[in-house]
Amino acid sequence: MADYREAPLATRPKTLDPNEYFNLSPEQRRLEESRMALRANLKRQYQIELNNPHRKELIEDPALTRWVYARANPYPNFRVTKKTSLLGAICGVVPLFVMYYVFKTDRDNKEAKIKAGTLKRKFSLLS
Amino acid sequence: MAGVGFRMWAKALAKGRSSGLSALLSGCRAASGVSKGSLPGPYPKTPEERAAAAKKYNLTVQDYEPYPDNGEGFGDYPKLPDRSQQERDPWYQWDHPDLRRNWAEPMHWDFDMFIRNRVDTSPSPVPWSTMCKHLFGFIGFMLFMFYVGAKFPCYQPVAPKQYPYNDLYLERGGDPEKQPEEIKHYEI
Repeated sequence: MADYREAPLATRPKTLDPNEYFNLSPEQRRLEESRMALRANLKRQYQIELNNPHRKELIEDPALTRWVYARANPYPNFRVTKKTSLLGAICGVVPLFVMYYVFKTDRDNKEAKIKAGTLKRKFSLLS
Repeated sequence: MAGVGFRMWAKALAKGRSSGLSALLSGCRAASGVSKGSLPGPYPKTPEERAAAAKKYNLTVQDYEPYPDNGEGFGDYPKLPDRSQQERDPWYQWDHPDLRRNWAEPMHWDFDMFIRNRVDTSPSPVPWSTMCKHLFGFIGFMLFMFYVGAKFPCYQPVAPKQYPYNDLYLERGGDPEKQPEEIKHYEI
């Protein structure tokens, strides 16, 4: 396994990472064990609910609920800082003025051309 | 959960602490899904809050890292590594195989971006900068060459078309009695 090279376009699997096997301190091993314990517990809960013959409804996923709630409710955690106000100005205020300016000048030029009789309507369907 | 509420209600009625309706209201509790404490909250400031938040999100305390608190609306949501779902092991028995995710596993903030149909962070065969240089270099070169070709067109020399029979004198309605002038299209 010393000459293992990853498959193209794939990351190296965690089980083939050499750091997993050499120079591991007891704290790292304990940390890994606690992670595994959490994951195994959740898997067990899911399997129990999945194979429960009395279950009639969907299995509710609390992580999904938390994710949806977090994405839909950023407002309590919003604060006015330099960065947030700058972003808000760039995305919300500047486009208004820029678009007003662009459209106004374009339309004014077109109006001047129409008045002078030089407007070329290349795709006109009328004639 | 509904059973607990019922038992409290029955106990309150049996004890007879208060009149019927208020006993009902104090004892009963709706058996709904999530409780208030399991939803995302504000940024954790003390170590106890961090530990509680890590437990809430099913992460170890060392793994739990909230987004920096700069008022952008993240709260205590954990900052997970920016890896797409395509990078995960395809042969492991995931609970949701198409999403390559287990039940109740903490979801990345941009999870809907990192699904397998969308953004992929898998390693590229050549470094990203090389790929960018190749693509934009080629496109830029082709655009430049087309621009130059439009500015300096290059084609075979052309001249007005030459017709026989004195420039088609009779066909163009010339007088048959009159002698047309001779037009020479060549030089020897």
